[in-house]
Amino acid sequence: MKRQFGKWCAWAMILGGLYMAPRVLGVFELNVLLGTAIFALFSLSLNLLLSFTGLLSFGHAMFFAAGAYGTVLVLTRLSGFPLLPLIGIGAAAAIGLALLLSPLLVRVSGHAFAMLTMAFSQIMYATVMKLSHITGGNDGISGFAIPSVSIPVVGVVDMALEQNFYYFAISILGLSAWVMWFFTRTPFGSIMVGIRDNPERVTYLGFSVPLSKAIILCVSAGFAGVAGSIYALFQNMVSVDGVLGPLSSFSPLINCFIGGLGTFIGPIFGTGIGTILLELMSAHPEQAQLVFSLVLIAIVLFLPGGVIMLYWKANTRWMAVRQNIQNRFFKRRIYE
Amino acid sequence: MNDQHEPADHILTTRGLNHYFGERQVLTDIQLEIQRGTRHAIIGPNGAGKTTLFNTITGKYKPKSGRIFFKGKDVTGFKPDKLARMGLGRSFQINSTFAGLSTFQNLRMAILARRKIRFNFFRFLDKIKSVTTETDAFLRRIGLAAERNLPAGLLSYGKHRCLELSLAMAVDPELVLLDEPAAGMSREETHKMVELIRELTQGKSVIIIEHDMDVVFSLADRITVLHHGEILATGSPSEIKSNQEVKDAYLGEAEVGNAA
Ligand SMILES: Nc1ncnc2c1ncn2[C@@H]1O[C@H](COP(=O)(O)OP(=O)(O)OP(=O)(O)O)[C@@H](O)[C@H]1O
Ligand SMILES: [Mg+2]
Repeated sequence: MKRQFGKWCAWAMILGGLYMAPRVLGVFELNVLLGTAIFALFSLSLNLLLSFTGLLSFGHAMFFAAGAYGTVLVLTRLSGFPLLPLIGIGAAAAIGLALLLSPLLVRVSGHAFAMLTMAFSQIMYATVMKLSHITGGNDGISGFAIPSVSIPVVGVVDMALEQNFYYFAISILGLSAWVMWFFTRTPFGSIMVGIRDNPERVTYLGFSVPLSKAIILCVSAGFAGVAGSIYALFQNMVSVDGVLGPLSSFSPLINCFIGGLGTFIGPIFGTGIGTILLELMSAHPEQAQLVFSLVLIAIVLFLPGGVIMLYWKANTRWMAVRQNIQNRFFKRRIYE
Repeated sequence: MNDQHEPADHILTTRGLNHYFGERQVLTDIQLEIQRGTRHAIIGPNGAGKTTLFNTITGKYKPKSGRIFFKGKDVTGFKPDKLARMGLGRSFQINSTFAGLSTFQNLRMAILARRKIRFNFFRFLDKIKSVTTETDAFLRRIGLAAERNLPAGLLSYGKHRCLELSLAMAVDPELVLLDEPAAGMSREETHKMVELIRELTQGKSVIIIEHDMDVVFSLADRITVLHHGEILATGSPSEIKSNQEVKDAYLGEAEVGNAA
């Protein structure tokens, strides 16, 4: 009961904070927050493969990129396309790519999976460069207007306004994160964890591992696509180095490691910490990489469970302290 | 179709199975006929090819030649998951559970399989009461209720072995292949295991690989002796006990082994 109450309080604070953000934060801080949220969703989608299915993907950026290009290409070619379906197009593009690759990807795991995803991501990079008449190549596509949204009762909402777009984007990101969390809690989610621990046994229980992996890949890719789609709209541009470069290829992985593997919300913490680090170092971008790497090394060496472990440890310690207090109080009452 | 040739009272038949690892032949012309509702033991010295035979029957390996009929249907080349969905279960010689998950979560996976809940993305698993109830009931039945929340990897060897068997049985297979379920157990544990096998396999067809002759003779209705990948003899326990060839090849060794 008490736990439940605490949980609701935490939720109210998070939602309240996200709601109030545009009122208390400046434009710059708001943009940092939204950028973090986008990469948090991207990292969560990667974590679905990494922590829950035990698959290390080095090429997850290709799904992020598919979402970004899918949305932008439709937006710039078909005028009058509404905003929400545009995000859907981004997700669909990423899922389409996942479906295309799944016949190969679902049959491998471990190193082979990591290498295959990396190779496909490289191929995607080359393809985007090659098709520069469509994708804009190195320069990318930019300067498009985000369509307004008309909501019954409320009226037309202008998405060019930072704060309106923030509310729109954060709602989609939050909802996506929740759906992914729900996904891990379904019967299928438990089979996913089974595949991570012992794929052969899962097979012998009568579950098709390749088919299950294909579904997980599509779900993970779809949400990476949503993140990519919102990222392109938010940046008001998409370019090959922006969505397929080192930042989008490696930072989600690093975020997962910093946050802590094996939990659902670890990557959110990891992304938050990564952002804070980068912002703190923004005056010295040359050294940012170095500091970032040192932090990563420190975490891998001294906190292999990631930052989330600090919370668990603190939590267990607090529980012990509370138990202790209760015991004393209880004993005294007995003696009195 | 050849299907008609397989008598209805045979749940499993193999015809001329051959399997090779590279150049080396490990299974030679294996003919098996398993009667529905019986327990059939496979015995033979280490390296005889018993586990390989299980791997071939369950579709992990594709035989180089020969046919496998399950419930009258030619299932040669079928994958393990498809055969499992048809009612063919299997336990492993070396414990193969979900070591990081709790005993409850392990067994729940099998209960999901039993209830054919495979691609359900729309409900909280914890809120499907019937699955939880059935899993807990099974835990009590196998005497692991106290270990419900313990990671399977931390179970004592005997209890882990029991979970290994239960993962196969909880799916409710029609035919189950048990690979040395009592391997590495003490006398007392072995006795318990035999009782558990008896209980859980009631009314089912069983093929059991076992080195412990007491277990074999107390459980099996029929026995097949495998030697260097070939079937040496098949018969009732008393026939096998009195078979001179078998004595020379295997039982003698086992008795020597027991005495030592
Ligand atoms: N994957 C494999 N690749 C190559 N050789 C194998 C493989 N698996 C088993 N073998 C070999 O095939 C032969 C039969 O092995 P198998 O495991 O079937 O024997 P077994 O009868 O189950 O023995 P045990 O009683 O020790 O379990 C052995 O000589 C073994 O070394
Ligand atoms: Mg064996």
